[in-house]
Amino acid sequence: MNNKRKLLFLLSPFTLYISIFFLGPILILFVYSFLEPGLYGGVVWNFYHHNYGRILGWADGIIEEFNPVYFKIFLNSFRLALITVIISLIICYPTALWISRQKPKLKVFLLFLITLPFFSSLVVRLFAWMLLLKPSGLINQFLSYIGLINSPLQMLFTETAVLIGLVYILIPFMFLPLYASIEKIDNSLIHASNDLGGNKIVTFLKITLPLSFPGILGGSILVFIPSLGNFIVPDLLGGAKVMMIGNIIEQSFLTARNWPFGACLAIILMIVVVVLLSFYVKALSKYEKIY
Amino acid sequence: MKKYTNFLKNSFLPLHVILFFLFIYIPLLVVIFLSFNSNVLNMMIWDGFTFDWYKSIFGFSTRLDEDAVYLESTDQLLNALKNSLVISVTTTIISTFIGTCLALAMVRYKFKFKAFYNALVYLPMIIPDIVLGISLLIYFVTIGVKLSIYSIIIGHCTFLCSYVFIVVSSRLAGMDDELEKASNDLGANEFYTFRKITFPLIFPGILGGALLSFIISMDDLVITYFIAGVDSTTLPVFIYGIMRRGIKPEINAIASLMIIFSLVIAALGIYYRSKKS
Repeated sequence: MNNKRKLLFLLSPFTLYISIFFLGPILILFVYSFLEPGLYGGVVWNFYHHNYGRILGWADGIIEEFNPVYFKIFLNSFRLALITVIISLIICYPTALWISRQKPKLKVFLLFLITLPFFSSLVVRLFAWMLLLKPSGLINQFLSYIGLINSPLQMLFTETAVLIGLVYILIPFMFLPLYASIEKIDNSLIHASNDLGGNKIVTFLKITLPLSFPGILGGSILVFIPSLGNFIVPDLLGGAKVMMIGNIIEQSFLTARNWPFGACLAIILMIVVVVLLSFYVKALSKYEKIY
Repeated sequence: MKKYTNFLKNSFLPLHVILFFLFIYIPLLVVIFLSFNSNVLNMMIWDGFTFDWYKSIFGFSTRLDEDAVYLESTDQLLNALKNSLVISVTTTIISTFIGTCLALAMVRYKFKFKAFYNALVYLPMIIPDIVLGISLLIYFVTIGVKLSIYSIIIGHCTFLCSYVFIVVSSRLAGMDDELEKASNDLGANEFYTFRKITFPLIFPGILGGALLSFIISMDDLVITYFIAGVDSTTLPVFIYGIMRRGIKPEINAIASLMIIFSLVIAALGIYYRSKKS
């Protein structure tokens, strides 16, 4: 077998598979977003741009109505995803910093301990938080035991619960890139800064923080994107009170049965994600030029 | 006073790390702990030790039968578990083959559209699950494929190939091709070289990729949720369905078994890898 044929043999399974079962579906999603919703959940194969009009504002109210609520839910999802990123950064950074300073054997063991819980099922981890946050749950029991509250706090089905859930399921995606970049920092730079009279805070701000920038950026994007499109966490921990883009997409598919509209929301979500990723790539290459 | 502030300064980081570990472990430990609680009326209040929830999910009769029967049917649960296992094993075999082939092509060869492939392979992993899930749903409905465990298998492989690719290609990139060249120079044919040299060398990578895709496939909820047919519920989708209707004590027992199962698999995998390297 010559090289060309071998290469063809190795490349063709992926090429075929991805063309048929990934690019095909994405293409048809795009086509669907421009179709007219039928009366009873079907579609009419007409070109129809009012799905986008409903969200982006040019629907005139005759055929479809523009509703700013979709825009608001997009913004709300952005806000929640951003808060999730910030909280996980605050939780993970000091931990990663401390672990990177330990002896090699302890480091390996602690990393093992950190990744272990996240191999357990997503539904199980969310179920655990439902148990903790319930009105009769452990957190309320604990708070009333120490006398801080008289009647149980409503914690389940709030925005806080959604944020806790998102942070909890996405923490490894923040921790691992962060740890990888902090770990790589050359210790002699930190010693040099200390020798030249920089105190701990100056050293941190001038050396550690800028050098761990790729990890911060990578972790943030890996947490932001899955939280933006999430619908499981708001569904289980937010009840009907917290709406994110994912929830409307799910509802327009399975409850409202307006598939073209759901497809349209999904296309917008996908475009947002691709734009964010291109910003990320740009920022990273800019950073690599400086350092 | 100075001593005291110094103590605070030095203990801030370790304290934070302890809180971090409590945050990631307490929820799971609580689930396991409560799965042995014999209180049928309020699962949050400890009322003594019991195995009844475990017996009940496997269909043995217990004292709970008269008080509270929560789980509709053990058959449904076992059927979901069976579906999950069939799907995960099949997807692992398919995606490991496709991902390994792609990794060999990308690391060992130079070709025109390499940059394109490099972007393409990350795309299924990075687009939100829900987008992939509904696009597969529309696709299957449009081309007339019935939703079943086969459609789930197809759906899982679209993104698991990429995971296998990443694990195997990082293993491949770490080794040079001198041995393969030597084997070819000594007159071994391509297939023999692959079987005796390349495959044993990248085997830990392939195993790691396969294990990862098995775990992800077992756990996938969002994509499966959209493309599962009526009879093809998987374990996560089944539990999600029960959880949507309320918190029931049986879930504690199912969840604990799942936690222990996945922790054992993950621990074995990580231990095996650390031993190899």
